[in-house]
Amino acid sequence: MSIRRLPSGLVNRIAAGEVVERPAAVVKELVENALDAGAGRIDVTLADGGRAMVRVADDGRGMTADDLTLAIERHATSKLPDDDLVHIASLGFRGEALPSIGAVARLTLTSRTADADSAWRIQVAGGDVSGPEPASRAAGTTAEATDLFFATPARLKFLRAPKAELQACLDVLRRLALARADVAFTLADDGRTLLSALPVAGGLIDARVERAAQVIGRDFARHAMTIQAEREGVTLSGHASAPGYDRANGLAQNCFVNGRPVRDPVLLAACRAAYADILPRGRFPATALFLDIPAEEVDVNVHPAKTEVRFRDAGLIRGFVISSLKHALGRAGFQTGPAASGAALGAWRPEARFDPRPSGAAVGRAYAFQEPGAGFGGLPPSARPEPPAAAEPSPEHPLGAARAQLHANYIVAQTATGIVLVDQHAAHERLVYERLKAARARGEVPSQMLLIPEVVEIDASAAAALVAEAPALRALGLTVEAFGPGAVLVRETPAALGEADVQALIRDLADEVQASGGAEPLSERLDAVAATIACHGSVRSGRRLTQPEMDALLREMEATPNSGRCNHGRPTYIELDIADIERLFHRR
Amino acid sequence: MKLMIDRNALLRTLSHAQSVVERRNTIPILANVKLDVANGQLSVAATDMEIGLVEITAADPASESGSATAPAHTLHDIVRKLPEGSQVELVLDAEAERMIVRAGRSTFQLAVLPTADFPSLADGDMPVGFNMAARDLRLLIDRTRFAISTEETRYYLNGIYLHPAEHDGVSVLRAVATDGHRLARAEAPLPDGAAEMSGVIVPRKTVGELRKLLDEAGDGDVAVSVSETKIRFTMDGVILTSKLIDGAFPDYERVIPVGNNKFAQLDRQAFKDAVDRVSTISTEKSRAVKLALQPGTITVSASNAEAGAASEEIEADYDDTAMEIGFNSRYLLDIANQMEGDIAELAFADPAAPTILRDKADASALYVLMPMRV
Repeated sequence: MSIRRLPSGLVNRIAAGEVVERPAAVVKELVENALDAGAGRIDVTLADGGRAMVRVADDGRGMTADDLTLAIERHATSKLPDDDLVHIASLGFRGEALPSIGAVARLTLTSRTADADSAWRIQVAGGDVSGPEPASRAAGTTAEATDLFFATPARLKFLRAPKAELQACLDVLRRLALARADVAFTLADDGRTLLSALPVAGGLIDARVERAAQVIGRDFARHAMTIQAEREGVTLSGHASAPGYDRANGLAQNCFVNGRPVRDPVLLAACRAAYADILPRGRFPATALFLDIPAEEVDVNVHPAKTEVRFRDAGLIRGFVISSLKHALGRAGFQTGPAASGAALGAWRPEARFDPRPSGAAVGRAYAFQEPGAGFGGLPPSARPEPPAAAEPSPEHPLGAARAQLHANYIVAQTATGIVLVDQHAAHERLVYERLKAARARGEVPSQMLLIPEVVEIDASAAAALVAEAPALRALGLTVEAFGPGAVLVRETPAALGEADVQALIRDLADEVQASGGAEPLSERLDAVAATIACHGSVRSGRRLTQPEMDALLREMEATPNSGRCNHGRPTYIELDIADIERLFHRR
Repeated sequence: MKLMIDRNALLRTLSHAQSVVERRNTIPILANVKLDVANGQLSVAATDMEIGLVEITAADPASESGSATAPAHTLHDIVRKLPEGSQVELVLDAEAERMIVRAGRSTFQLAVLPTADFPSLADGDMPVGFNMAARDLRLLIDRTRFAISTEETRYYLNGIYLHPAEHDGVSVLRAVATDGHRLARAEAPLPDGAAEMSGVIVPRKTVGELRKLLDEAGDGDVAVSVSETKIRFTMDGVILTSKLIDGAFPDYERVIPVGNNKFAQLDRQAFKDAVDRVSTISTEKSRAVKLALQPGTITVSASNAEAGAASEEIEADYDDTAMEIGFNSRYLLDIANQMEGDIAELAFADPAAPTILRDKADASALYVLMPMRV
């Protein structure tokens, strides 16, 4: 068979495979176009989860009839005025979106510039163009894609249920909405409004919190920590959930690089590492993090959908993000977050089943106790009463003054605004753990040199990546050297790991280093050793504590970062507001 | 089968057997011991499929021949709790599939499994055989077993490497164990007939069982037979057969340094006590201590940001340049505990190179220890 040039319709359909894979991708491309056109309001209308129709209407600067004709050509764009791929200020730039959508769906563009006296419309259906023809519309552009993938039935088969596709569209729009608090966004599917975000004015930080509240949820906004950090021309700002507010999946981890929503493995791994010993396994933080970085330091032209970027110095970015988040988490300190106290409050609700009338036997017992000289000098106290000399709770001590110990494990403390219940073992475990980690961070990790250096065979790229991380690993007590292509030589291992399984350790490290860079798996292992020591070295439940001991524990919790969670991510204390307690008794 | 035997004799042989039998088994018969009575003698067999133990003990001549199996740990516990000096009677009720144990006024009925199911570790041909003093074998084990690796991925280090070697022109039987951090090497005079033996790796559990049996062997001899896959030790009535670890022991000679020229001699007991005392302060798992060498003294020190610091000076016969070197204190203590003489000799090269330790009075053992970077 001879070689031939493919017709442009087919080329577009092939290209569309990369850009337009599901309705959410159409939403993303069209909304990004609207944002690039300077829109102040963007309305997305879907039918059947986007499969039947995606319509995006904006009030941006619009297009003339000539522009419309060009817009549906491949590699035609207004966004690269001076052929500069480095300093890209717009979300799009490849000039692929519209022709790709036009190749797989029926696309109608209706647009009018502010100074034109009429609107124009152009239609593309499976690559066939008709128009432009005059139409009516206020200034701005409406792009409508109907019968998605009618031209590529194979793709149609791979679409998921309308509900799942709708969810994906919502996710896309949420991310874009987080990035641009100054623009109004709405999304409706089959007539139901699912997202409505009003433009938010005011300072950047306040606006972003407000937008996050609209998009991620009020809960998130209430429990978000503000992140603001700068290093070597890179700034990280935005919000991240405090410990205690977590999600079952990673979908709420929103990251933006120069305003562009991305799902970048480097950033996601950095978030995971920062929260590693704060969240239980399988729980994820919610974030809206904005990384602003000089255009030369990042390449956004990695993938047609632009969800991944490439950093020139991924290690720097990673370390920067981790340390900024850890710093904020440390400051957020001992907060437990809403999940714990919310659940606790639920558990405290008075039960309807409870019968307030005492049984005959109970009445009998009660009378018996009132007899003179009854029993054994009073009930054994279920809570140990403390002498009334206890310190008064003061506002400087958010965890208040200890009042009693229950079941030899739970400390009850009175705060200025309510009460606090502390799990003494969990709390002390975290305190010891943080102390061990701090000790490790201060000095070099002692390493045991190996009598017989161990050769570990891994593939060449993994070996190279590992050797590149050698200085970081050495600081953690692991010395590796290159040993020809496809192998590394291990000379020293962290002494705390004892007689470690070097092969498995190196393989795990290599996987992780390749995936995200950095020596986290090793420090995580060392932390795990510290955690075991901490578990054994902390006050057990069942141990009676005196008043000064309890107060000392509370004060130390206030001073220790992350003390709101034990090493396994469980809360160490819960707080009940006096208002909550009053509600339990129907006083409010 | 009807066995009549003194409680103490039965307890002694059962305690050897039950120690071979694993506590948890997927194959029920492996939880049992096999008892054979013939000619007034009792033979007890136990195995975990890796190690097989057979022991022959004299029983009451009135015993009737036959064989049976019985749960090892239960039978051992019963006999252990019987009063000292009592006579025990074990009778197999083949129809009821029960073993009846009687002693004094106690009666026990134990479930039995068919004798035919009891696995026999096929002995095969053992081409090499020699006799050696139990005392020598004890020393070879004691000097090396602490260095056996516990890391199962390096299975070939999970035992003692036993092989004939030449040392300064003298033929020796050599035992070596290493876990990659330290290495212990001990030697005994080469017994007649052992020269043909190729190197074998004796698994850790076998070493442990053998060592217990050797305690009772006193000053007697042990007959050792070796094939490519098995090793057998025979001593007064007990036969211990074990599979060998199928692997290649690393070329350990290469890691024993030859150029260590900074020698220090010190009082072993003082050194041991100092390391033990100072290491109290290092709370982390590795328990690192530092040795600062100076002409005339060695200072053992440890510091820990949390707990504080400790140091102790010991006199040492050392006249080379000053240097500092770190070690895991547990490793130092393990080695010092194996020495019996008064003087320990340490040979250093530099703080990142292996150090040699030996007992001045005992040239047969040598220890190599890798330093720590602290």
